[in-house]
Amino acid sequence: MNGGAVWRASRGAVKRRRVQTIVIGLVVFCSTATVLLALAVISAARAPFDTAFEAEHGAHVTAGFDPARASAEQLAATAHRPGVEAAAGPFDQTVVTIPTDWIGHAPGPLTLTGRPDPAAAPVDRVTVLAGRWATAPGEVVVATPGGAAERFLGSSIITNTGLKLTVVGFATDMSQSSGGWVTPEQMAALHPTARQMLYRFTDADTEQQLTASLGAATEGLPQDAVASAQSYLVLKQAFSAGADAYLPLMTVFGVLGLIVAALIVGNVVSGAVVSGYRHIGVLKSIGFTPRQVVTVYLTMVSVPAVVGTVLGTAAGWVAAYPILETAFTGISTGTAVIEPAGWLPVATLLGVPLLVALAALVPASRAHRFSAAQAISAGSAPRTGRGLKVQRWLSGTRLPRAVSLGLGQPFARPARTALTMAAITLGVVTVTVTTGVTGTLAKSFVPPDRNTHIDVLTAKFAEKKIEPRLTPEQTEAMLHATPGAERVSVRGLVRVGLVGQPQLVFANFYGGDDMVDHQRLRVVEGRPATGLGEIEAGPAFLDQHGVKLGDRLTLVLDGRQTTVTIVGKELQGNANAISSNAATRALLTPDPHVVEYDVRLAQGTDAAAYQKAITDADPSLTPSIVAPSTEGSVVAIQSFSTTFTVLLSVVAALGVFNTLLLTIRERRRDLGMLKAIGMTPRQVVAMTITSVAWQGVLSGIIGIPLGILTHRLIIEHVRIIAFTEGMIDVWGAPLLAALALAGVAIAVLGALVPARSAARLPIAEVLHNE
Amino acid sequence: MSNDHDGTTRPDDAQVVVELSGVHKEFGDAKALDGVDLRIRAGEAVAVMGPSGCGKSTLLNMVAGLDRPTSGTVRVQGQDLGQLNESGLALFRRRHVGMIFQFFNLIDDLPALDNVALAAQLTGTSAKQARRRALELLDELGVAHRKDVYPATLSGGERQRVAVARALMNRPALLLADEPTGALDSRSGEQVMDLLIDLNQIGQTLLIVTHDPNLATRCASRLVEVADGRVARERMLETQS
Repeated sequence: MNGGAVWRASRGAVKRRRVQTIVIGLVVFCSTATVLLALAVISAARAPFDTAFEAEHGAHVTAGFDPARASAEQLAATAHRPGVEAAAGPFDQTVVTIPTDWIGHAPGPLTLTGRPDPAAAPVDRVTVLAGRWATAPGEVVVATPGGAAERFLGSSIITNTGLKLTVVGFATDMSQSSGGWVTPEQMAALHPTARQMLYRFTDADTEQQLTASLGAATEGLPQDAVASAQSYLVLKQAFSAGADAYLPLMTVFGVLGLIVAALIVGNVVSGAVVSGYRHIGVLKSIGFTPRQVVTVYLTMVSVPAVVGTVLGTAAGWVAAYPILETAFTGISTGTAVIEPAGWLPVATLLGVPLLVALAALVPASRAHRFSAAQAISAGSAPRTGRGLKVQRWLSGTRLPRAVSLGLGQPFARPARTALTMAAITLGVVTVTVTTGVTGTLAKSFVPPDRNTHIDVLTAKFAEKKIEPRLTPEQTEAMLHATPGAERVSVRGLVRVGLVGQPQLVFANFYGGDDMVDHQRLRVVEGRPATGLGEIEAGPAFLDQHGVKLGDRLTLVLDGRQTTVTIVGKELQGNANAISSNAATRALLTPDPHVVEYDVRLAQGTDAAAYQKAITDADPSLTPSIVAPSTEGSVVAIQSFSTTFTVLLSVVAALGVFNTLLLTIRERRRDLGMLKAIGMTPRQVVAMTITSVAWQGVLSGIIGIPLGILTHRLIIEHVRIIAFTEGMIDVWGAPLLAALALAGVAIAVLGALVPARSAARLPIAEVLHNE
Repeated sequence: MSNDHDGTTRPDDAQVVVELSGVHKEFGDAKALDGVDLRIRAGEAVAVMGPSGCGKSTLLNMVAGLDRPTSGTVRVQGQDLGQLNESGLALFRRRHVGMIFQFFNLIDDLPALDNVALAAQLTGTSAKQARRRALELLDELGVAHRKDVYPATLSGGERQRVAVARALMNRPALLLADEPTGALDSRSGEQVMDLLIDLNQIGQTLLIVTHDPNLATRCASRLVEVADGRVARERMLETQS
């Protein structure tokens, strides 16, 4: 007996079990793709930042000092304090205002730092992406989070004070220490308003350690000398913020996918081996050694498993790119490269077949131990002693006999039933989680009223090349005066600087009738920022800027600055956006910077007529009727949830399908007999579906509470949205009742085809073949 | 009295239970039945014999409604089986036909009593009533003491008696037996033969497919010989009971 015989026997087994081979391949395909996708997001969220940060000797803390309170000499001395591993600085800083569009940026403030070439700096080795470092006054290197725009090299930036700076380079740093860099000599001429120190500390693993290390380094400096301190942990958090919305979901779905895959693969493979015992006996009787028999069976399941793994890896790899792109949109990635890690396909290509082989090994080793006679009889002898009491009891109940037979069937193969039920349970968990997440999101984004709204964009915001006929004040009055308007809210948008932080933030200033009712605002903690000097922001902003309710920030615009207090936490929002009111805006600029009006129409108003009236009054305005919509991240979460739910439900249903296929194959004779004595096709279908439907019911009872717990776990870890308890609690009795059907639905879905095939079994053939 | 083509005679007045007219059955290119005509009247015991592959099992399947002819008609109890769909055929089998097989085909997961009761329970009879009737049958067939035993631990003869009891559960007009003694030792075979004779004597119509001339001559009143898918010869037998 040689390898050729083993291969021929394996090939024959694969061909003979086409459906089973396809099921194994499909299950492995879906599972591999799910696992690879989940791992891609999990690994991309953290590793690239660490790699790029260490390569640049990134600053653990970027500290801003008040030059009036700490001299350059005092700051230089802090580099030698205990706990400071390395330091760079002090570098003078200032915020200039660029009054016009520049290199694709909107007008606004720009933080500049005077710094010599950092290529060999002990901390924060800024990477020049294009051009060169500034070497002479009048030159500037612009920080760019994404790719360098080489065509802009040599272009000029002119500040509102008339200073002209020539762009000689584009650079990026993971520490995000500045918006641009000039030479120290140039900075001296710009009248710096802050001094920057970049520190690396020996103890820098936690925020507490960083605070303590900075405290030790700046000990002895005058009080309030430290104007700002940006931790690299906050940046790291910001780096993966977009992905953070997806991470908890992806992690849970990834783990669920792995478990379901292992269960189903184990069930499918062990079923293939168990149903092949007779075949095993025949092989042994003609001279196959036990080892060769095991090889035949491992080969038999490995062929579809390997094909499924390769295709699943390819599909997962292709899908990972757009998913990562979505997850990291708008994130300053610096020099970090966001792509699926190279080890992922290796891991799935090796790991999944290994999992399959392990799943097959247990039953295959049983086949190894069996003598030829035992194996043959195990495949054909009547079964005894399994679940008989239950079946006996069921036969005496008042249930229709087809139903009671179906109920008792799974007790004949308890291990197979347990594995199938586990798969359905995980399917129910997935459906419950998705339903919960969708319900929470739906509750979170309920519009404040049921009225129709008209969203009116200004010419500048809509990028229309029509001169406005009306001033902002006239527009607001016109919107009010047009019949049907109930309330008019005005939104101004301008980018402002934050003292001590290099990045600009989007400031939304709401005015008009009622900023609180604006559809996009929903304060879930604290109160709305309606008072002078008050702002509110979403959880992502608070997280990534390391601030909390009650903290104060200084906003800078056009050379004016004002200190504001954070009084409210919005449900969600851009990580770089704050909201405030028109009165607070007036402290910074008289220009309302209006970009949008929101008009709430009275019930019964003809929205189209209102829309037309606006355009007639001022063609530069772009009105549109607003349908309640959700944010992009919400849509993405829902899409991911739905995708994974479909994938895992299909895998679970395939598990049921396979279990029934095996059961029907084993019980062909019984089915033939039942049909011969008068069981109708409908009764056969009812019996077959009943045999898994009750497992679906039980899976629902187990899976729903698990799903509810998992939902809570996920929701509490989505950092970019601050859900309240009311939003998390979405479980009403009707919903729970509907979810209870999920397990049955998965079971029935997987059972339909096998049930129909059972109903169509050719009786004469089955009975005479025995 | 009427004359059959072999010249034998039999009573004309009894009801026709089975009537096959020009029945053909083809499996691909192979002809299993090639124009079979056959009538069985109520109370008759007919044995079908012939070499392997001659079509006798196919003929049985046609009568049982387990398979459909390629052409021709099969009527049982006046019902044209070709007019019935799968559900209709199942209901027909349930009401009019009982079947016993060479390898018994009992359900391993059910004890003898429940195997027998099953046939009635499928019609909607309550478990209690079905079990009562099943017990009566097992008692009549001499295996009531084995009612709680699972098929795996019954002897071959006992299994076939249980199978007969199941076949009789719904009081069928026609009892079909496919090599009923083929898997039994001679003693058990004798017992089953006696049982079939007894059943026929109390009016049960029988159609037995067998290789065994002893079974045919002992149990049947008429012998139908099949060869190459056709009825080659029919003759009346003298029962030996």
